[in-house]
Amino acid sequence: MKIGRRKFLATGSAALIGLSLKSERKIEGSFVNEAAAAGHLLRDRKSFTAAKQTVRIPIVIVGGGISGLSAAWRLQKRGFNDFVLLEMNDQAGGNARSGENEITAYPWAAHYVPVPGTQAGYVRELFADLGVLKNGQWEERYLVFAPQERLFLYGRWQDGIEPAVGLAQKDREQFQRLEERFAKYRSTGAFTVPLEVGYSKQFAELDRISFTDWLKGNGFDSRLLNWYMNYACRDDYGALAGDTSAWAGIHYFSSREAEEKGPLTWPEGNGWITKRLLERVGNKVRTSQMVHRIVESVRGASVFAGDTEYQAEFVIFSAPTFLGPYVIDGLPRLNDFVYSPWLTANLTLERLPVSPGAEPSWDTVFLDSPTLGYVDATHQSLRTHIDRTVWTFYWALADGTPAQNRQMLLQSDWGYWKEAILRDLERVHKDIRQCVSRIDIMRMGHAMIRPALGAISSEERIRLKRRDGRILFANSDLSGISIFEEAQFHGVEAAQVALRHLGGRR
Amino acid sequence: MGVLVFLTVLLVAACGLIYELIAGTIASYLIGDSVFQFSTVIGTYLFAMGLGSALSRYLEKGLIQKFIWVELMLGVVGGFSSAGLMWAFAFTEGFQIVLYALVIVMGVLVGLEIPLLMRIVKDRYSFRDVVAHVLTFDYLGALGASLLFPILLIPHLGLIRSALFFGLINAAVALWSTFLFAPQLMEKRILRASCLLVLCILTGGIVRAKQITATAEDNIYADEIILAKDTRYQHIVLTRFKDDLRLFLNSHLQFSSRDEYRYHEALVHPGLAAIPFARSVLVLGGGDGLAVREILKYPQVEKITLVDLDPEMTKLFSTQSMLTALNQKSLSSPRLHIINADAFPWVDQSTESFDFIVIDFPDPTNYALGKLYTTAFYRAVARHLSAQGLLVVQSTSPMFARDSFWCIAETVRKAGLQTFPYHLYVPSFGEWGFVLAGTHAYVAPKSIPNGLRFLSPDGIPLLFQFPPDMARIPMPANELNTQVLVRTYENDWKDISH
Repeated sequence: MKIGRRKFLATGSAALIGLSLKSERKIEGSFVNEAAAAGHLLRDRKSFTAAKQTVRIPIVIVGGGISGLSAAWRLQKRGFNDFVLLEMNDQAGGNARSGENEITAYPWAAHYVPVPGTQAGYVRELFADLGVLKNGQWEERYLVFAPQERLFLYGRWQDGIEPAVGLAQKDREQFQRLEERFAKYRSTGAFTVPLEVGYSKQFAELDRISFTDWLKGNGFDSRLLNWYMNYACRDDYGALAGDTSAWAGIHYFSSREAEEKGPLTWPEGNGWITKRLLERVGNKVRTSQMVHRIVESVRGASVFAGDTEYQAEFVIFSAPTFLGPYVIDGLPRLNDFVYSPWLTANLTLERLPVSPGAEPSWDTVFLDSPTLGYVDATHQSLRTHIDRTVWTFYWALADGTPAQNRQMLLQSDWGYWKEAILRDLERVHKDIRQCVSRIDIMRMGHAMIRPALGAISSEERIRLKRRDGRILFANSDLSGISIFEEAQFHGVEAAQVALRHLGGRR
Repeated sequence: MGVLVFLTVLLVAACGLIYELIAGTIASYLIGDSVFQFSTVIGTYLFAMGLGSALSRYLEKGLIQKFIWVELMLGVVGGFSSAGLMWAFAFTEGFQIVLYALVIVMGVLVGLEIPLLMRIVKDRYSFRDVVAHVLTFDYLGALGASLLFPILLIPHLGLIRSALFFGLINAAVALWSTFLFAPQLMEKRILRASCLLVLCILTGGIVRAKQITATAEDNIYADEIILAKDTRYQHIVLTRFKDDLRLFLNSHLQFSSRDEYRYHEALVHPGLAAIPFARSVLVLGGGDGLAVREILKYPQVEKITLVDLDPEMTKLFSTQSMLTALNQKSLSSPRLHIINADAFPWVDQSTESFDFIVIDFPDPTNYALGKLYTTAFYRAVARHLSAQGLLVVQSTSPMFARDSFWCIAETVRKAGLQTFPYHLYVPSFGEWGFVLAGTHAYVAPKSIPNGLRFLSPDGIPLLFQFPPDMARIPMPANELNTQVLVRTYENDWKDISH
């Protein structure tokens, strides 16, 4: 037992005098980065101002998330600079946006990229450009520092998120058997990142049943195993395993080699990549430019944003594909694009809560919580002394239909979500209310594409992925999986299609 | 009755002196500079006693009753003086205000005692006898107290309980006086009840104090704690036993003044003496100024940069007289530039180059400190080495933490440097090791500064020989994403303590 001297003097003399202190902090904060209102203008087909000027430009990129920025990166790397990128929000980055306060930078959504395998050639190329991969070595500072993940269960902490303590013989046997099944699928080479590299119709039947049904049908009924599979689906797809295609569930575990090294991450999460890309292509990016109409013709496409009509030869549509039918003339309604609603919150902590038994980790998860836990933004700090920090709290609203959850997300006020977040944290960190001084919350009605049943093998997707028109679709949702690698893959591919066509004439 | 009255004088005199000694001692322990503390405490106390004596003339009727009340008040105030002072140090910024206020209150009360007693007994003896006897016993009591205090009280009872114990004596004197002067007293019941109440409170205090010290760090540190400070970054404790001064940071021993010369000579000279061209030196950690003291022995070193996280630490070792005596005021050297910053970010942003770099951090007991023992860190530090420069790393014990020691050596090697590990015996630590590293082969120095107590030019090459039980074992390098060292270190020390 270790008691600080001052604390000892304090408690000792306070005990003698009979004194005790306790106080609760005032917690400030608000909703931030609200996008629903702007998006709903498109949904409700409001009238927009007519174009006052016309700009002729070969390529317009619509959307400044990872897909759009990657398209720009590829164009620029190939020496093609005659393009513009239009971003609806006042900040580019999309799901790789970040914020910063006086303590640290922190992510607003995606916060890591797994160490890319050899199939993810574009990712490796980018990371070599950014100094993340040097002479075949991953930069130590960008690999997640130890300790990485911890799970709170049965009143204690364990290392890693896959439950490893309190397993019965049956649980152990099923985890083992499931790992063997995943290894077998991995060895087929059909489950890859990016998905496009290995995808084959061979396993299309897995896309027609839910992951839960697949697990059940294969005799996996362990409660802890099912919790973990559900956690994985909520974390990567914002969906319960029962609403996820078995193909996607298996892909999560079978698409990557069991890497010894942890994922690549930064204090601001993938916002770091956004910043580096903006350093290169930021001069092409126009923020707060909402594209409200695109008209495709045989020779090109017109993009209307604000009072400007961009007459382009190619449009790279990096915005979420579901916006297409609201913006693009003649594009029919899409049926196979379901999105999961999320909220993320950044909590400013004036001190760390008391968590006996484990050193603060990068990622903290609570067993049986409806939320996904939190990530510590100062974990990748090189400082040895950290007294204040920022936690990014993740909550995929997976239980229920996306439409219901979207409505609840928008209708409940900040105070409601603040309490919900604190109550979740309080289950484990009893003193959290004395630690937190601020909670900023970002609501995202269409946060990420959901690989629902049939999504991966959807004909609609295959058609949009062909990229044979003047509008080249490029969002990660074309893969049915919302991850960095897919977004970058489609962005780069779309850029290359455009370059191929334009290059022939120049 | 006469003897009993004079025994009372002896006891109250002892109590009075003890409170004064306690105030002086706590002040020196907690804020240092004992000469100043004792002088001002004694001066204030004596002055307050004079004030009490002067005030005694305004007390007229019911002198015995008033004497008893004075004793009870003194019992409470003096009894809790130790706890109160420590509380003030822990909780308030105004420790000195509380200290001198307490000294004045106690002094006034003590100053009232003897005049009151003299007046109480004045009718029984001649003036000549009263003065002679009272003062004799007064001084006798003082002598007893001054001998008891360092020999018995402090070692066996500690400060908090010594004060409470003498508070009990004051209260006992009060109770006793209700019997001794019973014939002249009114309302004996109320007085006796009050005496019992005060006795109970003080006894309760002693019991609680015992409970507290049983769980407190007095047990962790074998010696008397002379300074304890919680800074924003760490918990600093300084202990002393006779001439041995020890520094603990977060309960980990950093040095013992008896043998720290071995550690610091070995940390600095094998490397620095081998690079006679050294002009600029960087010290990372080492806010105690002891490594700097050794570096200052090289007149050609023009500039020393010390980067230590904790400004309280460097301030303490720049100002506290006991500590500046130890580091020979090294932190006040005009050649030294102190920067209070977190080492890794500082190293990252600095562009300076150094001929010699001393890396002297606490052992890698947690993941935060573990970052300062990684390939990423050593790579960042190595960028600051001049072409022929050397760096040295405090690397824990190759004997007790053999895996950890060789893990650190491997980490430095993997960061792209040639390593030259060595070790020595430091009695308070045991076998201790360092890793010297640079981009060229190392040649031991032929000459070293004069006046070293441990190192000699002939002895330096011997430090680099490792007997079989400490010899190199293959270990992985420590990286930010694995932090194998923290677990290795934990296991190493677990193995010994079991």
